[in-house]
Amino acid sequence: MSVTVSFYSYFKDLTGCGSTTESLPEGSTLNDLYQKLSVRFPKLVAMQKSTLMAVGVEYRERGYALQDGDEISLFPPVQGG
Amino acid sequence: MHRELTITNAQIDEAALLRSREFSNGMGAVIYFLGVVRGSEEGAAINAIEYEAFQRMAEHQFDLLFDEMEKRWPIESVRLVHRIGTVKVNEPSLWVEVIAPHRGEAFAACQWLIDEMKRVVPIWKKPV
Repeated sequence: MSVTVSFYSYFKDLTGCGSTTESLPEGSTLNDLYQKLSVRFPKLVAMQKSTLMAVGVEYRERGYALQDGDEISLFPPVQGG
Repeated sequence: MHRELTITNAQIDEAALLRSREFSNGMGAVIYFLGVVRGSEEGAAINAIEYEAFQRMAEHQFDLLFDEMEKRWPIESVRLVHRIGTVKVNEPSLWVEVIAPHRGEAFAACQWLIDEMKRVVPIWKKPV
């Protein structure tokens, strides 16, 4: 399956891009995706504990099972106000 | 509960917001909060803050917070404006208004909303 991944805030600097696509085996989780992205973008490794992840417009935990076509977002802790 | 959310690049027009205020005769508390950009960030002088939002998700997360507010307190109206883009020092980046029958619930709801916004609404800032 294929998913799209968007990066926000300084994650765009860490990865050098605003978005990308990733191919994963069926049944993959958000954690699987993160591990794969960490290989492509090694600067993400240090951010693993603080990274927030969303599928569509909802926050999801690392064990969330991905579906083909999902729109994933990765970003650091939020700072509005 | 009346709710209005604006996430905008435009300057916050306080006068227009005050002119458009509406509430019923059962309301005894109208409070509003203005968040303003400070001239320093972590000890260093800055000129402005650049705000970035994941707008679609930010709108959804604000909606969830407004839903929860409505369950917790008898709020008649909430209006919130958040700037994105470059906001200069001394300019407001956030305007929140809460209208309720009594001040206790109005203050509590406003404080809660801002605290939760800083926890879950995908908006980020970068000093420049």
